[in-house]
Amino acid sequence: MAKTVGDMTSKPDLGRRRFLTAATSVVGVAVIGAAVVPMVESLEPTAAETASASTTVNLAPIEPGMQLTVPWQKKPVIIVNRTPELLATLAEVATQGRLKDPDCAVPQQPPYCKNVYRSRKPQWLVMVRICTHLCCIPHYRPEKASVTPWWLGGFHCPCHGSMYDVSGRVLKGSPAPHNMAIPEYDFDKDGTSITITDMYPKAHVC
Amino acid sequence: MSTFGDWINKRFPARELMREHMTEYYAPKNFNILYYAGSLLLLMIFLQLLSGFLLMSHYVATSQDAFNSVQGIMYDTKWGWLIRYMHVDGVSLIFILLYAHILRGLLYGSYREPRELLWIIGYVIYIMMMGEAFFGYVLPFGNLSYWAGQVITSIVHAIPFIGPQLATLARGGPGIGTATLQRFLALHVVLWFLIIAALIVMHVMALHQVGSNNPDGIDIKKHKGPNGVPLDGIPFHPYYTVKDLFGVGVWLTIFAAIILYAPTMHGIFLEKNTFFRANPMVSLPDVTPPWYLAPYYAMLRAIPNKYLGIGVMGLAIILPFFLPWLDRNPVRSSRYRPWYRAMIIIMGITFLVLAWVGEQPPLPKYFLIERLGAAIYIGFYLLLPIISSIEPTRAVPERVTK
Amino acid sequence: MRKVWIGLLAAILFAGNVGLAHAQTLAAPKYVFNKATVMKGALLFADHCSACHSIHSLRYERLETDLGMPKAQIIKSIMLSSSANFLKGMRPTMTRTDAKTWFGIAPPDLSHIVRAQGQRWIYTYLTSFYQDPKRPSGWNNRLVPEVAMPNVLAPWGGIYSKDGKVLHKGRLSPGAYRREVADIVAFLRYASDPSYFKRHELAPYVLGVLILLSLLAYLLKRNYWRDVHD
Repeated sequence: MAKTVGDMTSKPDLGRRRFLTAATSVVGVAVIGAAVVPMVESLEPTAAETASASTTVNLAPIEPGMQLTVPWQKKPVIIVNRTPELLATLAEVATQGRLKDPDCAVPQQPPYCKNVYRSRKPQWLVMVRICTHLCCIPHYRPEKASVTPWWLGGFHCPCHGSMYDVSGRVLKGSPAPHNMAIPEYDFDKDGTSITITDMYPKAHVC
Repeated sequence: MSTFGDWINKRFPARELMREHMTEYYAPKNFNILYYAGSLLLLMIFLQLLSGFLLMSHYVATSQDAFNSVQGIMYDTKWGWLIRYMHVDGVSLIFILLYAHILRGLLYGSYREPRELLWIIGYVIYIMMMGEAFFGYVLPFGNLSYWAGQVITSIVHAIPFIGPQLATLARGGPGIGTATLQRFLALHVVLWFLIIAALIVMHVMALHQVGSNNPDGIDIKKHKGPNGVPLDGIPFHPYYTVKDLFGVGVWLTIFAAIILYAPTMHGIFLEKNTFFRANPMVSLPDVTPPWYLAPYYAMLRAIPNKYLGIGVMGLAIILPFFLPWLDRNPVRSSRYRPWYRAMIIIMGITFLVLAWVGEQPPLPKYFLIERLGAAIYIGFYLLLPIISSIEPTRAVPERVTK
Repeated sequence: MRKVWIGLLAAILFAGNVGLAHAQTLAAPKYVFNKATVMKGALLFADHCSACHSIHSLRYERLETDLGMPKAQIIKSIMLSSSANFLKGMRPTMTRTDAKTWFGIAPPDLSHIVRAQGQRWIYTYLTSFYQDPKRPSGWNNRLVPEVAMPNVLAPWGGIYSKDGKVLHKGRLSPGAYRREVADIVAFLRYASDPSYFKRHELAPYVLGVLILLSLLAYLLKRNYWRDVHD
């Protein structure tokens, strides 16, 4: 390549040249690689996003039998204050054999909610209000026979008719595959509010 | 060559471009340290594009949230401080390189025939860069940004006939607000930047059309070898690529040291007043431009009359365009023109003094320095046609010296 | 448009006046800037300043991730506001409206105060209070005359008259008091530049690698340029 520089009386040390080229390239690529890491990481969620990722909800205004739906991480989360009558339907719907996954075997909830109530405290249901079929928002239908004659109370999806009980367990005959997802949450010390923290990683929202 | 390479080259002239601009572009072999500036400018502008893209991924262009979003980058974004300091300190380093690059052109007569267009395109890039820097300066919406926006759009306002309409168009409202931020952002990252990028391509094309000048200011194409290659020329690749790689290493070391140890450079690269939120009700303790625009600001202040002051500043900015025709000496390089060299040194020092005085509070005690500085700076260009035609010159060598 | 220019002119004149008013030389705080002094300053700030002043940009968690302060200590000693959230910015214990009724203006957020004013200014300001019965708060300040802020550090630093006479000794010796104020300044300096420690920890490695790259590139360049110089 370098034949243009007049006569080359002394041959350059090509071995050394090759070594230096390789060494410079390796360090150069390492520098570029090391510079790319922070640049890509700068696009990760910021501390502001992380801080606003958890939502605290005061439970006091939710009367027995009523629900409150709050936005959390751009998703609706429903909180239901379940009456003893509503809780009684959970055993009944299971004995009728209407549930696809009565024992919550599919990890759609954190381990501490793997029970018939799918909650930390039987009274309070905290659930991502998204149908596992195609991501619609199901209606809350607590009254008996409000959807079908045998309806005991639960959730009914307006899009494709998926049905769930008042714990969000999916009923047989629904297009939805799984029970609705339960996020991770905690009650505060005196039990008057809850803080929804993270999505339970194994759960499928839809 | 490989069949894959042939396949590509049938469809895209990769080899031809490489030959034309790299391996068979013959540059004089006597480049000195000032010749690093050009390639480093390309590198720095690429880094500005990269850090700018990352900044814009987090920036919100509203008068309400702009300041917070920039502080959010500094506090809440992972490595946000790194990308912002890269962008902010990058501006100052680009202007240092621009001034070195322009000084190089002046010293060795790189603006002379046949490189007039090369010089003019380059000077347009410099002026566009000032605009680019100004638009970027307003975006963080600190109090300095606000008042800088206010002052510069007021200068636009003073343009005869169309000024008031132009100022309203620039602001997009009665004052500097969300509309201003959004159009400045659009200008900064889209239109203005694309124009600069296109001008840079034109600048390099013009350079490769006429060939590089050198510190001796002589034409290396006059003495060619039997193969048609200039005897004093060497292929750009690999000789200047490895040399520039060394320059890049040293420059990146300096850049990293600034970012890591002195990112605000004691208020010179990132001014104190940018840490106050924009406030139309509270003017600044002192309104001074960034250092790289300060010389022009000093010339603006030197004349106690709005229109005359702006006129003097405009003259100072416009005169360098005519440099190729103002210089009438047959010799290019200042190496063989002692008078011209002295003039450049005086003008360079004056420019630095003007930069310093432009940063000082506007007190009467600086008036003399400002006026003297403006007179010397403008005088350089106005006296050049006379001095260059009577100055004595030294013997110019036939071949480049080392 | 003339208004803007008049405003600018007024600003410039005003700036001149401020320049003269600042004739008082700014004293430099004496401290070693490291994580220990910053943490001491953070505790002092929480005790004396955080009743009124927020540091909106600095999240409590940064004290753990940047400085290594234990989370339990942050919750117990720094997060004094009832609405404080570990993941969010530092809040004052008092509400803005309360503060406004008591002081006339809301106390400023101190996130960027050191970057904006400089640490000498903060230190001088904090040590320039004197008793002035004519003021509603009973305090005045040599650096910022007619300031609304009372001298909250008086019990520790003592009470002075305008001409610098000690009216009432503080609980701390003058030397110990100046060190405490310097610690608060250190904390505020960190708060307005929280990447400081990370930058300084990274710097030797980054510069080392880049110097190595430059060195290799230099050797490579010299090797190639033997062709040219021969």
